[in-house]
Amino acid sequence: MALTTRRSGRTRFTILLLVLTAVTLLTLDGRGFGPIDSARSGVLKVLSPVGDAASAVFEPVSNAWNGAFRQGDLEAENDRLREENERLQGDVTAGQVAQQQLQQLLQNEGITFTGDNPRVHARVVAGSVGNFGTTLDLDKGSSSKVAKGMAVVTGEGLIGKVIQVSDDRCTVELVTSGNYQVGFTAVGTAAVGVAQGTGSPTVLRGFNIDSSQKVEANQIVVTGGTRKSSFPPDLPIGTIATVRTNEAARETTVDIRLFARTTDLTYADIVLWQPAG
Amino acid sequence: MPKTLLRYALLVATAAIVQRALFSALRIDGAVPDALLVLAVASGIAGGAERGATVGFFSGLALDLMTATPFGLGAVAYLAAGALAGALDTALVRSARWLTMAVAALSAVVGVVAFGLIGTLLGQAQMLGGHLVAVSATVAVTTAVLVLPTVRACRWAEHDADRLRAAVR
Repeated sequence: MALTTRRSGRTRFTILLLVLTAVTLLTLDGRGFGPIDSARSGVLKVLSPVGDAASAVFEPVSNAWNGAFRQGDLEAENDRLREENERLQGDVTAGQVAQQQLQQLLQNEGITFTGDNPRVHARVVAGSVGNFGTTLDLDKGSSSKVAKGMAVVTGEGLIGKVIQVSDDRCTVELVTSGNYQVGFTAVGTAAVGVAQGTGSPTVLRGFNIDSSQKVEANQIVVTGGTRKSSFPPDLPIGTIATVRTNEAARETTVDIRLFARTTDLTYADIVLWQPAG
Repeated sequence: MPKTLLRYALLVATAAIVQRALFSALRIDGAVPDALLVLAVASGIAGGAERGATVGFFSGLALDLMTATPFGLGAVAYLAAGALAGALDTALVRSARWLTMAVAALSAVVGVVAFGLIGTLLGQAQMLGGHLVAVSATVAVTTAVLVLPTVRACRWAEHDADRLRAAVR
């Protein structure tokens, strides 16, 4: 009896100690404790080759799984793609015209995609490890001059930023994650605001826009590139989908539909740009 | 005891690699099985609440090192799941495979919900919602399926500790 009581007392003490340790780690991480970042980069470096080798071994299993659980989806997707392919063949010309118009519009506003900043083309080698992460791993790292904080784009627009780097790997946190904010400008206006992910893979929420600035649906939104911003200016983000103005708070909020896809990515470009200072 | 520690460390490392290399590719409705959570829950069933909490803490830390979620979030959530599994399994009057699987599924769901709720409190608002339901369902089913072999692996790791416990009694 005494042994059982002593044992349960020790169990409670151990659990309490572990909870306090976890809370301490959460607090340190919230305050940007450097060694945690180093530890994550170290794990990325160590796990990359091991993970790649294991992925190659397990590839038949994951292929079989996807075949079993997504066969219905794949058949439906196949039909849809065939139909879409036929439609797109007719739309190619219209698409080219639209793209030229977008380029023209961006040029008229003095915007060139990623400007003069060099880009590193990278392949997506892994998606998010767990259930709640919104990250992906690219096969380029510090040996290709990639550094933490750099913007990551596809041919369509901004998708995220680099949060971990090892020699030949980097981890990108998607802009949709909600873990960081991006300063933006609505093209053709003086409206500036801050965009943040909502968990949706296609929509960001924009806020802190002065209500005296006129913003409308379908306006193009690009990175603001203000001082201390971790993104270069003029990276296309998306178009404004909906506008809500709160006159009492003198603030306008918007929903921004992303240009770029953030799911099922195969390749991405890292923009080799870092804020001055 | 060091042998037990070493064996559990090996199990955590193996679960981390399996999670990264295999389970992260097995998505159902955006949710994946969670090898580290299965290990936390199985260790609780094999070794009791204290063992479940300790292994859960380190399994969660391993997940925290591989993801961009707040560092320590996985540790506290998986600790809760491991401790709960240990406490529930100890409280059970009779033993049956389906009961072990049910305890594992319930504990895993508690771990996932704790992860989502604490994450939301820490500003990760996107963790709540329909995705949490999909994750809970996927993790519950896969944990129930995977827990029995994982409990065996944990009993292998507990081998020395069991002998020590017998000596103490």
